[in-house]
Amino acid sequence: MAKAKWSKLFKLTNKHKKPISPKTKDTSGEANNIPKKYLDKQLGINIQTLQQTTGNSDDIVIRKIELGINPSIKAAVIVTDGLVDDQLVSEFIITTLLEETKNKEIIPVESLFDRIEKKFLTIANVSSIYAWDELFPSLLAGEAIILIDGLAKALSTSTRGGEKRSITEPTTELSIRGPKDSFTESIRTNTSLIRRRINNPNLWLHSMKIGKVTQTDIAIMYINGIANDKIVEEVKRRLNSIEVDEILETGYIEQFIEDETFTTFPTIYHTERPDVVASNLMEGKIAIVVDGTPFVLTVPALFIEFFQVPDDYYSRFDISIAIRFLRVLVFFISLIAPATYIAVTTFHQEMVPTQLIIAIAAQREAVPFPAFVEAMLMEITFEILREAGVRLPRSIGQAVSIVGALVIGQAAVDAGIVSPAMVIVVSITAIASFATPSFAMAISVRIIRFSLMFLAAFMGFYGIIFGLMIMTLHLCSLRSFGIPYMAPFAPIMAKNLGDSLIRLPLWKLKTRPKLISQKNITRTADNQKPTPPTEENNS
Amino acid sequence: MEKAKIDSIQLFILVLLFEMGTSIVLAIGIEAKTSAWITILIGSLFGCLLFQVYIKLFQYYPNDLPTTYTRKIFGKYIGSLISFLYIVYFIYLTARVLRDFGELLLTFAYRNTPLFIVNSIMIIVVIYGAKKGIEVIARTAELNFLLIYFMAITGFILIFMSGLIDINRLKPLFGEGILIIFKVVATQTVYVPFGEMVIFSYLFPYLNHPKSTRRIGTFGILLGGINLAITMAINIAVLTAPKVENTPFPLLTTIQQIQIANFLERLDVFFLVTLFIGAFFKILLYFYVAVIATTTLFNIKQKDSIVYPLGLVVLILSITTASSYQEHIQEGLEVVPIYLHLPLQIIIPILLLGIAMVKNKRKKKNSGQKANSDQQNLENSKPSTDM
Repeated sequence: MAKAKWSKLFKLTNKHKKPISPKTKDTSGEANNIPKKYLDKQLGINIQTLQQTTGNSDDIVIRKIELGINPSIKAAVIVTDGLVDDQLVSEFIITTLLEETKNKEIIPVESLFDRIEKKFLTIANVSSIYAWDELFPSLLAGEAIILIDGLAKALSTSTRGGEKRSITEPTTELSIRGPKDSFTESIRTNTSLIRRRINNPNLWLHSMKIGKVTQTDIAIMYINGIANDKIVEEVKRRLNSIEVDEILETGYIEQFIEDETFTTFPTIYHTERPDVVASNLMEGKIAIVVDGTPFVLTVPALFIEFFQVPDDYYSRFDISIAIRFLRVLVFFISLIAPATYIAVTTFHQEMVPTQLIIAIAAQREAVPFPAFVEAMLMEITFEILREAGVRLPRSIGQAVSIVGALVIGQAAVDAGIVSPAMVIVVSITAIASFATPSFAMAISVRIIRFSLMFLAAFMGFYGIIFGLMIMTLHLCSLRSFGIPYMAPFAPIMAKNLGDSLIRLPLWKLKTRPKLISQKNITRTADNQKPTPPTEENNS
Repeated sequence: MEKAKIDSIQLFILVLLFEMGTSIVLAIGIEAKTSAWITILIGSLFGCLLFQVYIKLFQYYPNDLPTTYTRKIFGKYIGSLISFLYIVYFIYLTARVLRDFGELLLTFAYRNTPLFIVNSIMIIVVIYGAKKGIEVIARTAELNFLLIYFMAITGFILIFMSGLIDINRLKPLFGEGILIIFKVVATQTVYVPFGEMVIFSYLFPYLNHPKSTRRIGTFGILLGGINLAITMAINIAVLTAPKVENTPFPLLTTIQQIQIANFLERLDVFFLVTLFIGAFFKILLYFYVAVIATTTLFNIKQKDSIVYPLGLVVLILSITTASSYQEHIQEGLEVVPIYLHLPLQIIIPILLLGIAMVKNKRKKKNSGQKANSDQQNLENSKPSTDM
């Protein structure tokens, strides 16, 4: 039964079906212009090739050493400065190599290589390298490379280190009650933050590199047995088919793998909170972590997800229900408040209580513009103010808010440009748009708001309803990785409505979202309702 | 046929929205005065019977659209002709409902706006919806269904709290006599909105659980009938029958009566939203069915290529079929039921079913006993030559 429903609703788009070309796998050679394919026997030639390829970059440090006596053998340790743990390299590699071979005959070289790999080095991860296009990625990822004269191979040792931003409080998604850590720019830190929350071997991680030139590390994380295999495969396929030079942020990935580009609504969720990612993984979703950004993607994303915040689950259920209703109200206010003002003052005066409409009409007496122009003027002013505020250094930010209060406020009214009612409408819209938890959703609403204002000026309420109906049709046609975007409302999934607009007590939410996770659907055992101790238990 | 699937609950909601459609804002069956709501209920019962005919036909041809099985039953030429008649009928009815909606909106709120503008805005949404396909239409219907029911319940509570309902206004129950009830049923309520369910025979092949169709569909019709009857009963109980008969939109007049605490009044927006959603789904379903019937009849691969021209035809037709609203209403009351609804909703489906049953029996017998096949063919060829 569940399967039949699934096959109906799960319709993957065929847009991304490109064959995976082998090029994406080893593109470093092409991008870096390495003259040779394999390492040479002579150390001198190898070092020359290396310097040539990297253009003598100063941060590629080549430390030449000599090992053993009678005769001593030349060797070199090569690291990228800043990406390696300096202490590790000097203590565990250079010191070890020199100490172990001190005053010893070490011929033949082959056996020396083996001894270094198996006996000398006290570093966790060591591997041999034969080709240049293996050497460069590991060197540039912060591993130390050991080259020995007379051998056409190299040792790569894991010495990654260097400066990292430490884990701080989230800056864009604050919560009152909940964990205070957020992701950083390092992919390993990020995956470890997620792993710390889900201590289970079934949390699987699949790594890949995307970006012909940047060779960015990407990790796909999901819980095997909860995530839907079809969606996992689909995510992998879409990621594999990306052929682009650079990936600098999750936004790059998002634009290559989303189901529908021509929509204002976000169909992929992004967050900087590890607890949100963990809870999404537990619902069967899939996380995509990208190196170099503190934002992690989770797919598939549903419309209602953008109105939910972790606090909803941490605080008591009745409070979260009330707040969720408030958020939906806020969504509609930020969507149609200015449009409604325009419609009412231009077309439907009879729908407002008489006293109020007389008051509004009296205020608008002095305003030289039609309601639409007035509203547009104020909304655009506000958008300018907001955009200016986002990018300003904090020290100047103060100035903007002072000037802003003049532009959207009493001064504008006194100047006879707008009516006081309009100022109130713009302000409530602005506050409402800030109250939407997801910035991606708030910004898409802002764009739609302007078209609704235009429609309201054109046809009043009929225009607004027209716009909303188009929006509804569009929303219902969206899918995120095959999952209908408006689920669980359309299609109605009665069982999942418990965690949508409302949030029932956790013991009542017995199942995971049905469409996303297909197997292992139960997450809460029966009879979990807490009860006060009965007489028998007490005695 | 596009590859899409809708499930039982979506069918149910589509049926319900389609039934209520524009009928909920109009005074249907008001000739029967205080018994108007009874005519609606009886109409819905007959509607259920008709629905069984459509379902039975579907069960004989579970994978075909009516355009296809009409040709199988009547033969290529007559079948195509009848299918073509249906397409014209659907396009005409799309245009009719669009005209209804446009006129309603003009008289209600936009007295100085040209009909063309109002209609073309509506047809834009309809074209957009039809392009998206039946799955999206069904999902949108689900969302709107929640909204409509929320508004209906709120509206009912508000009317009740305002103390407007006077049950005595519904008396006498059969004041105009039983006969007039059946006359109204036979000339009006059977066809609109219940006989219009004929369009759903074009949607049955999209169902993913075809077995529950009969139950769900019948339930939808009955509930739609009950909803309409309740609305009409409330209208009469609030306004009295003569007043319902004389106002263009009884539901609007009823809503305008609401007055609570000098604050909750002028809830005309409720009416506007109900009108828009109801009309939208009715027009959209008619239009969508016209589109898929056209694509299957003329073997058009992409429905997108037909949506725009058909939309334009509907738009122009909706303005040119009648020179005034009075003429439009008169056509609707005198011409359409007898010359369009009666044959296309009732006579042809029953004929189709009769022939399909005979053919099916013959097929069964043929496969059962091949020896007697000649004799049976002779016998069974009689009804088809009669056609």
